[in-house]
Amino acid sequence: MSDRWTIATLGAAMAAGRISPLEITRELLTRVGRLDGRVHSFITLDEERALQAARARTEELAGGRRPGPLHGIPLAYKDLCRIPGLPTSCGTRTRDYFVTDVECTAVRRLREAGAVTLGSLNMSELALGPFGDNAHHGDVDNPRRPGHCAGGSSSGSAAAVAAGFALGAVGSDTGGSIRLPAACCGVVGLKPTYGYVSRAGAMPLSWSLDHLGPLAGTVGDVALLLEAIAGHDPRDGTSSRRPAPRANAIESGAAGLRVGVPENYFVDGLAPEVEAGLAEAIRVVERVAAGVKTIRVPDPTTIVDASQVLVACESATIHARVLRERPHELQPVVRGRLEVGLHISAHDYLQAARLRAGAARAFIQEVFAEVDLLVAPTIPEPALAWAVAKAGSADDVIQRMRRFSRLTRPFNGLGLPALSLPCGTSPDGRPLALQIVGRPFDEVSVLRLGRACERETGWTESGPPIV
Amino acid sequence: MDATERQRAAAVADLAAVIERASADLALAEEPSGFVLALEMGAPPPASR
Repeated sequence: MSDRWTIATLGAAMAAGRISPLEITRELLTRVGRLDGRVHSFITLDEERALQAARARTEELAGGRRPGPLHGIPLAYKDLCRIPGLPTSCGTRTRDYFVTDVECTAVRRLREAGAVTLGSLNMSELALGPFGDNAHHGDVDNPRRPGHCAGGSSSGSAAAVAAGFALGAVGSDTGGSIRLPAACCGVVGLKPTYGYVSRAGAMPLSWSLDHLGPLAGTVGDVALLLEAIAGHDPRDGTSSRRPAPRANAIESGAAGLRVGVPENYFVDGLAPEVEAGLAEAIRVVERVAAGVKTIRVPDPTTIVDASQVLVACESATIHARVLRERPHELQPVVRGRLEVGLHISAHDYLQAARLRAGAARAFIQEVFAEVDLLVAPTIPEPALAWAVAKAGSADDVIQRMRRFSRLTRPFNGLGLPALSLPCGTSPDGRPLALQIVGRPFDEVSVLRLGRACERETGWTESGPPIV
Repeated sequence: MDATERQRAAAVADLAAVIERASADLALAEEPSGFVLALEMGAPPPASR
């Protein structure tokens, strides 16, 4: 792209007639064709239908229609979202792994808001894996730092935004799968409150822990996407009846918000460059918020352990057929992780679900009596080089995966909204990221702080060279 | 039992032990649906959002 568009600036340029949906769609498709052979962010590029939709959006604008903020905006979706007319491989080698008549509600809402679908995005196989490797569709390379992992499991979603292939994307997050790739690739990603964004029409991995959410280049753009996709959906039994948050509600600054920095768990075992980045980020938060204090949070180890039991049992149940009939088709690490769930007792599964309820209640009551938001790093170390991420036995890799996602997994178990926001780079140019966590359904406060930080710093405006 | 199976059995046993210890003090009335209630009860009032 000649310009580094955001959804907001591109929408304004389209409304002013400076560029059309067709022109930007053509430009992005050309860019993908030129560069995605190195990144591997797309599984299916739907050029023909994208151009058809862009042409229709362009004609609507020419006809004098006053568009919403997403009209004509090119987006792409993780390949576990059901998009009519496209295969849904879920990162497996089976072209049509996830078959359903139900269009993904998040995709449908964005399409109805005028967005142009570019295609489906690469991901870790069955959404199991925090690095973004995929033996079937290619490892997703980090556009900010070639030769390093893009993060997963929504690897293509983050990489496509970072590479300037799409203005935004939808990913899923069961243990950090939106926030980890957002952090690795230097883009913004939000895991909303459990139940705020419908999962209908998206492949489940764990119905207790799955969340869908947006990724984009700025906090403001993430808020625009969230406004479109959040809110009640009768097709998802866990869907909350709360209305979607208004994107313009995040523009009021962060003054008045009390922020806590955990002194335990979330600061243990951090790489030195992450520690330094966190300290700098906290100084920024101190400038824009009402106050920052160090607090001791309830140890999330129990909720993480309970979540591990839930996801193991549920994922093995959901994917029992491939495990039984075609286990050889799965990557060894993915197969190994799924098979654990076949050996956990119903008693332990139910105790884990009961534990989660009490742990969530205690965490919410204790933490949010003292502060409005928590901040912590998203990743304990910057994006790993591929040779490091994949080294050793399957068991070594699984242990490495657990360490890499240890800061994000608590908030899937707790169901709380969590934003990953770029906050500079390590000395060798790998993105660093801050996680902002709020009360249930208080995405507005989370995004207000993120927006205030991005305005104060330009964290989301610049970055190292992209691809 | 090969090395992979032994590792898996050990991982499952570890998880079971952790869950058993952690759930020892659960109230009799605690049930999984308490999680969704915790989110709804923990949300700020609509006016402040």
